[in-house]
Amino acid sequence: MPNWHRVCPASSIDEEDVVPFDHEGHSYAVYNTPKGYFATDGFCTHEEEDLTEGLVVGTTIECPLHQGRFDIPSGKALSPPVCVNLKTYPVKLDGGDVYIEI
Amino acid sequence: MPTTAASSGVKLDKAILKPLTRRSDRPGLIWLGTWAALLTGTGYLLWLSLGSWWVVPATFLFGSCLALPAYALSHECAHGTAFRTRWLNETVFWISSLIYGEEPLHRRYTHAVHHSNTWHPGKDPQMPFATPMSFKGWVWEISGLGIVTYSARVLITSAFGRPGPDERAAVPESEMGRLIRNARIFLGVYLGLALLAVLGQWWVVTFLLLPRLAGGPAMQIFTITQHVELAENSQDLRLSTRSIERGPIGGFLYMNMHHHIEHHLYPLVPFHQLPALSQALTPQLPAPDPGVWRCNWAILGTVVRRALGRNAQTASIRQAVTPAE
Repeated sequence: MPNWHRVCPASSIDEEDVVPFDHEGHSYAVYNTPKGYFATDGFCTHEEEDLTEGLVVGTTIECPLHQGRFDIPSGKALSPPVCVNLKTYPVKLDGGDVYIEI
Repeated sequence: MPTTAASSGVKLDKAILKPLTRRSDRPGLIWLGTWAALLTGTGYLLWLSLGSWWVVPATFLFGSCLALPAYALSHECAHGTAFRTRWLNETVFWISSLIYGEEPLHRRYTHAVHHSNTWHPGKDPQMPFATPMSFKGWVWEISGLGIVTYSARVLITSAFGRPGPDERAAVPESEMGRLIRNARIFLGVYLGLALLAVLGQWWVVTFLLLPRLAGGPAMQIFTITQHVELAENSQDLRLSTRSIERGPIGGFLYMNMHHHIEHHLYPLVPFHQLPALSQALTPQLPAPDPGVWRCNWAILGTVVRRALGRNAQTASIRQAVTPAE
């Protein structure tokens, strides 16, 4: 049964930025994009690189190692060398904080 | 574990790194405009020289201004760092890769493997020569013939639906269809240009084919400095990769890739921010080797001494000690 977990104050994630969130041994990436807040798995599907060290451009995240790109809202792999989609998670804002449903 | 800043023990505060990774179209467009002006100028000189012996140096000059920047731009676009606007990056990627001679998908996938396994024999598909480098290997490499024949083989085998083992290792099976399609498009364009030349369109030979081949050495004297004579199978990019001093024109033509260690450590950083990245990393990096001419002179001296059976160690550039010596 999924539960909502508090990540951080919404104001602590700059626009076009990403922060890490760890829960029960799993790493997640939580984004602030021009289209709102989103969350995905924290590691690239290509070579398991930490996406929170990557670059957010609009609603895409670029892996820091090979610049493979994912669409953040859908998790869709957009350009080589990534070709496996990223898992996404629901996010909500409550009381000025960001929550992720896991 | 891939070869990264972390595997190299290099750290940079995110507050410093983040502004350096920001994308912009402006520096890339300025660079593109300057390159177009340079090609127009040197192309005009080539046109003026037609019919005289001046055509030889003019072809080398125009070719150098064509080949080296095409390589550098194709590389920058492969990383997606040349422009912020994606369609612009991808369009320029295709055109520059056509001039450089490598199909874009192959370039992207094999270059990704190169970044993950930098200078690891048997794993790095961009180790173009046997190491330690022999004199014969140096001639083959520096002439540009090595990369031309390699690219031709990859393109033809891929276009005929039979990519080689390196391509199969680097490119996922799900992408093979696109790789083959792209290779056929590339081959079609090249065959179309060849047909134009056969039909008497001499400009194809004078302004494309011959300059591209003549520009090979100018491209290779830069790219050969990137890893040659450095440590193999190292997780520390500072030991396997070389940055060199910037020359007066090389910085522009090579899109700042003389900061090569810095590029490998943080490939998200666009070409125009590499000098700033280099400054931020200075305390953690070895001093850059000399500029491109002195560096190539040292490499040549090393391979010649090796060919003569003498001590191939040099004090002029950084060099890994090889067990055979």
